[in-house]
Amino acid sequence: MSDASSMSLIEVRDAIRNGDLTAESAASSCLHAISDRDGGIGAFLQVFDDAALESARAVDRGERTGSLAGVPIALKDNICLNHGRTTCASRMLETYESPFTATAAQRLIDAGAVIIGKTNLDEFAMGSSTENSAFHITRNPVAPDRVPGGSSGGSAAAVAAGFVPGALGSDTGGSIRQPAALTGVVGMKPTYGRVSRWGLVAFASSLDQIGPFGRTVADVALLMDVIAGFDELDSTSSPRAGMAVSPTLSEPVGKLRIGVPRQVRSEHNHPAVVRALDAAITTCTSMGAEVVDVDLPRLDDGIAAYYVVATAEASSNLARFDGIRYGHRAALSAGEGLEDLYARSRAEGFGPEVQRRIMLGTYALSSGYYDAYYRTAMQVRRLIRDEFDAIFASGVHAVMMPSTANPAFRIGEKVDDPLQMYLEDLYTVTANLAGVPAISVPAGVTTEEEGDGTALPVAMQFVGPVGGDEVVLRVGAEFEGGRVEG
Amino acid sequence: MPEETPIPYTHRMPTIVSTSLIVGLEIHVELATRTRMFSRVASMAHPGAPEPEPNTLIDPVVLGLPGALPVLNRDAIELSIRMGLALGCEIATESRWDRKSYFYPDLPKGYQISQYDQPLCGEGHVDVQMPDGSTHPIRIIRAHLEEDAGKLLHELPGGTSIDFSIVDLNRAGTPLLEIVTAPDFTSADQVEAFSRMLRNTARFLGVTEGVMQKGHMRFEPNINCELTLDDGRTVKTPVVEIKNLNSFRAVRDAIEYELREQPKRWLDDGLEMGAGMKSTRGWNDQRAVTFLQREKEDAHDYRYFPDPDLLPVTIDPEWVSEIRRDLPEVPHLRASRYESTFGLGPREAEALVDEREVCLFFEAATRAAETHGLAHDVAGKAAANLVLQVGLRLANEREVLVSDLGITADQVGAIAALRLNDEIGSSGADTLFEALCESDEDPAAAADRLGLRQVTDTGALGAWCDAVIADPANEKTVADVKMGKMAAVGRLIGGVMQLSGGQADAKAVRQMLLEKLKSGSCS
Repeated sequence: MSDASSMSLIEVRDAIRNGDLTAESAASSCLHAISDRDGGIGAFLQVFDDAALESARAVDRGERTGSLAGVPIALKDNICLNHGRTTCASRMLETYESPFTATAAQRLIDAGAVIIGKTNLDEFAMGSSTENSAFHITRNPVAPDRVPGGSSGGSAAAVAAGFVPGALGSDTGGSIRQPAALTGVVGMKPTYGRVSRWGLVAFASSLDQIGPFGRTVADVALLMDVIAGFDELDSTSSPRAGMAVSPTLSEPVGKLRIGVPRQVRSEHNHPAVVRALDAAITTCTSMGAEVVDVDLPRLDDGIAAYYVVATAEASSNLARFDGIRYGHRAALSAGEGLEDLYARSRAEGFGPEVQRRIMLGTYALSSGYYDAYYRTAMQVRRLIRDEFDAIFASGVHAVMMPSTANPAFRIGEKVDDPLQMYLEDLYTVTANLAGVPAISVPAGVTTEEEGDGTALPVAMQFVGPVGGDEVVLRVGAEFEGGRVEG
Repeated sequence: MPEETPIPYTHRMPTIVSTSLIVGLEIHVELATRTRMFSRVASMAHPGAPEPEPNTLIDPVVLGLPGALPVLNRDAIELSIRMGLALGCEIATESRWDRKSYFYPDLPKGYQISQYDQPLCGEGHVDVQMPDGSTHPIRIIRAHLEEDAGKLLHELPGGTSIDFSIVDLNRAGTPLLEIVTAPDFTSADQVEAFSRMLRNTARFLGVTEGVMQKGHMRFEPNINCELTLDDGRTVKTPVVEIKNLNSFRAVRDAIEYELREQPKRWLDDGLEMGAGMKSTRGWNDQRAVTFLQREKEDAHDYRYFPDPDLLPVTIDPEWVSEIRRDLPEVPHLRASRYESTFGLGPREAEALVDEREVCLFFEAATRAAETHGLAHDVAGKAAANLVLQVGLRLANEREVLVSDLGITADQVGAIAALRLNDEIGSSGADTLFEALCESDEDPAAAADRLGLRQVTDTGALGAWCDAVIADPANEKTVADVKMGKMAAVGRLIGGVMQLSGGQADAKAVRQMLLEKLKSGSCS
């Protein structure tokens, strides 16, 4: 029997399809790997042992078919599933069970995927290290004393550790790409509107996108083909047709022009990231691509604009957690009233980072401050989008830049310094602000010396124009296949 | 520096010489869409919707569950545009949704989806028709669309008291059109006339079912007074907003109450209209008084911002033109037309436009009568008589609308023609109307079958007349008529009608009786 934990998603899919592996044994080897090793990593918040095995046996009986028949998948625990709990790694939703399933998850299930469990995250997806989970931290499988990034750190770690061949996360400012980069897997944030947000517990509605993790770009492409497409339940869903890039992923893109923003050649980049960027340019050139310098002058403003827009929307999106209909409700003492119910339920249910962002966002939307903060941030956002538009209008197919400036940092290193933590998202937030697709692909490692005895992954991301999801996948696949080591 | 000397101060209570009323109105109209504003679950404000148990008409969107998203109900936009056009409003080409944030248990998401600075309907104007025939112009400031909140129940359904509150979200997310007028009303009469007109119009256009008891329409008057003082000064009292009035009576009483109280309050506290002076009051229906809810308009910060879950609404002017083209004539204009064209009284005309279906039924009956050769004005008058007399009587008895009695408008038109041509009498018309509620028979054939044709044959009429005149019981009446007491002839006509079994043509009988008694041929 093949060991599913070392196989790519496509290999697992093909092995099940060819009869070399049963769906049940694929699921069961995932479940064993989790029970054996996840104690030291903490990728999962819930594992659906029986339900996963039953769902896999249904594939083996031929009752469930589809392009992902029998493939084990993990879901970030802010994606609703009408099975088990949907906690968002928050005390607020510790026992919450969703009566419905997110469209993206349902599409996976309809394609035959076996949902193995729900993965850890920073509470309500707010964070860049998965240290903000109310339940436990997640360790980076590559270096267990380091963070896996966040907020989809559980999904990234689950794939990196070989617990599942693929997973879904959500990306509001880099929450898929940054953990993918830090754990050495592939992760993609689709064009805004390409994947339905129905059933994704909202953090910042205008920035949130569900996206896939996999070991290879081809894995991610296959998952995108399944989850992308119009959904009438999401008003911001793009009417653009679904995707079918997987079968033709390896076809050459043609004469490529890749832009590298001058602003990402920063002195703040880790030496390994500097080397990886140089090597990536060499790789692109060797692929026959033309690499050109481009300008993204507002890159640095992106982080400020992002934290205003994201916190403003979050302050409103999280208002529904009031202890009235569901979620944590404080036990009131005699004499306490409705105001106390709200204040105490929210104070007890939300962790410190969530409270910090709700307060920041509330402030940014307050009368008298709206223009200075929210309106200005939206204007910056517009400018960033215009800058991307200008780059793509000049004939550039994809923009290449590091996914992060640094490899995985140590657990606890940045928890007391929110600003430093926010800067983790420097290279990733612009894609969310502009609504464009971006994929993070492994692009090298640190030296063992640099990584305290471990070669830590670093990654490049390829950013495409709105709707250019297929383009970034093809470029990513070609880069992955032709990568020249730095 | 000269020493400050206190200015002699004599307090004199000013006297109010006259008080004039200033009222602006906000009206919340629950739209009669089949489903909610942003979800597909059925709406209670849809006509014929059952009265459900608390929290049975809910779904993830209405509940504001994590991960649920709003999807706009286009019907709500169309109904709002219809109403906006009827109020003469400019219709926006680009409109937007904003979140209005506040915490309350009946507000599931912690924000209400509303419209802040880009409402669907902009400025408009209507002329309110007063009962005395005059009109009063009212400016509409805007009409925006929002979602309704749920309800808090403080006792169990059935009335059992509880020491907690129940949140019922059946109403949450119902589309609500908020119409805001300028402070152009100067009397409670005007407010009432406008409110009634608005309700009739909204009902007629299918915008709302308009059942006041169900809260389909809620009125919030903003009231203050201009006081003229004996020293020639004028002052304005602080604006008072009365929340959630859902009967015309309450609107009128609350305004009149404030008109009486505000001058007294001013004499008491001297407070005048100004920023931050607005207060909110509720209405106690039993005691017929307003009561303070919020002292000054708290500078409540709703933190409006564009809802990122919804796209802006782009409204095609072509679509608006289409809606405008299909917009039916509004009821109050129809009623005036009926008065002038058909010679109906205001009450009759009002009764015809009260229910849209009845009104359309009446107009169809009028057209049918015209096809039988009646002139338009005559046809309308005759159809109105049938609909308002026998029609309404039967409808009331059977608790249905005239249009649902079973008789068709074509049949009513034919009856009107038979009656106008004196082929049947008025009691015959009533009988025929009632009979045709159960039958799709041709009215002329039915009149024959039922023997309702009037007898105009002079031979038969002559015999009946002679018999009545000869009856000793009528001796005195006959004598009276002969002496010129024309009113007495009615008794004799009645006698002939009785003899004929109702089939005699009363007009012909009268004429024949008078002739016979004048000539003395039977004396």
